[in-house]
Amino acid sequence: MPILEVNDITSGYGDVQILWGAALKLEPGLMTCLVGANGVGKTTLLRTVMGQLRPWSGNVRFEGHDISRLPAYKRAERGLVLVPEGRQLFGDMSVLENLEMGATNRRGRPHLKRNLERVFAMFPRLQDRLTQKANTMSGGEQQMLAVGRGIMAEPTLLLIDELSLGLAPVLVLQLFKNLQQLKALGITIMLVEQNVQMSLAVSDYGYVLAQGRTELEGAAATLMRDDHVRAAYLGL
Amino acid sequence: MDFLLASLVDGLLIGSVYGLAAMGLTLIWGVMRVTNLAHGAFIALGMFGVYGLFNGGFNPYVGLFLVAGCGLLVGIGIYYVALHRVINAPQLSTLLATFAVNMIILGVGTTLFSTSPRTIDFSLGSFSLGPITVQNTRLLAALASGAITGVLYLFLYRTRPGKYIRAVSSNRAAAELMGISSTHILALSFGLGALLAATAGGLIATFFPFTILSGDTYQLKSFVIGVMGGLGNPFGALIGGLILGLLEGLIPVVMPTTWVPVIEFLLFVIILLVRPNGILGAKR
Repeated sequence: MPILEVNDITSGYGDVQILWGAALKLEPGLMTCLVGANGVGKTTLLRTVMGQLRPWSGNVRFEGHDISRLPAYKRAERGLVLVPEGRQLFGDMSVLENLEMGATNRRGRPHLKRNLERVFAMFPRLQDRLTQKANTMSGGEQQMLAVGRGIMAEPTLLLIDELSLGLAPVLVLQLFKNLQQLKALGITIMLVEQNVQMSLAVSDYGYVLAQGRTELEGAAATLMRDDHVRAAYLGL
Repeated sequence: MDFLLASLVDGLLIGSVYGLAAMGLTLIWGVMRVTNLAHGAFIALGMFGVYGLFNGGFNPYVGLFLVAGCGLLVGIGIYYVALHRVINAPQLSTLLATFAVNMIILGVGTTLFSTSPRTIDFSLGSFSLGPITVQNTRLLAALASGAITGVLYLFLYRTRPGKYIRAVSSNRAAAELMGISSTHILALSFGLGALLAATAGGLIATFFPFTILSGDTYQLKSFVIGVMGGLGNPFGALIGGLILGLLEGLIPVVMPTTWVPVIEFLLFVIILLVRPNGILGAKR
């Protein structure tokens, strides 16, 4: 059974329709990427999956249950966790407090200690800066903290929006390696990225979103060889 | 010189209570981005709460605890009734909603209590320290304000719901993603703001006469203090309160008392022009 099913979602803001029939099926244990150019609706799709936007039609099923009407704050409790675009940290709270806030839901709280150790093992730099305010850290450190905060929520599915945006390539590679570690722990991951080449390279499966519709899907390795993908997104 | 010193001490004592009142306003603004125009009404309700309990045989300081508890509950109730459905609307909507609450409370209050001044017939005496005479009710009010500020600090920085309030204040959408129900936290914040206002009102009532309309004066002071200390910064509010109290103590020494509000609001405008984020400069 897919862990997340997005069935023909249409959605948007006010009168402006952004999604025109997006569909996904994520298999548990895999790393999937959703790629597409800027402005095709990737973030809108994530906002709809997380309940920050209501779908106009279609539905979202998580672990077999229709969650389309579930309020946003109840989704983290089920193990559906988003690392949002632009990090969205609690800027005037400390690094430790940001991590604690990740573990506020009923699901993450009992595992606070274990997950804290996991985060520190993955990002030792955060451990050195526990009392520092989040908004005083560098972009890379903030991204580590955003991912760390997501891990604290004890996710079964971790959605990550634009992990690589604005970061040095060497750091992005490091973060992608960290995601492989998370996958090894059994966490299903969906990367949502403009950086098509890098995300296809680390993922098992991929979806291409264009004009609010899922245009193409397939094994990541297959998509990398697809002529259309190569021409439109990889510039080859 | 002695007179100056006495005014200074008195100003500081009363100023700390102003700070407490402003803290309620600034907490609500900081967390909810709501300008609470019912703040003065909450202060007046606190005054009448302590007054009523005193006449019912309670010590005013015992009554204060009850008033604080009721303030919290009333604030939470008002949030759900009047604010919840407009919380995401443009700020004018929440401003008008709180204005409506203010008019309702003042209207009902005027009918029930009339607008004739009341006093709580209660005294703890006073003590003299050299040339200064301090009324014990004022000293106690200042100590209570300091203690409540400390408790608020501990609540916001050391407890789970306090941290949720700071998280929602910092980034409401992200807090929701982490599993925090922002609705509950916003209601709690509004309740706390009402609690602080009612408590400040209750303390003021132990040494100043008041009517149901008295809250307005303190609401205006709270705005001046909030802007001085940086809206959204509870601890700046206490400092701002002390500064305002000092001014109120010292201005009458050099010019007629009627000039006090003129100077206060002149200061308000100047600070808005020069340091729009407050003297303490909360960055937002």
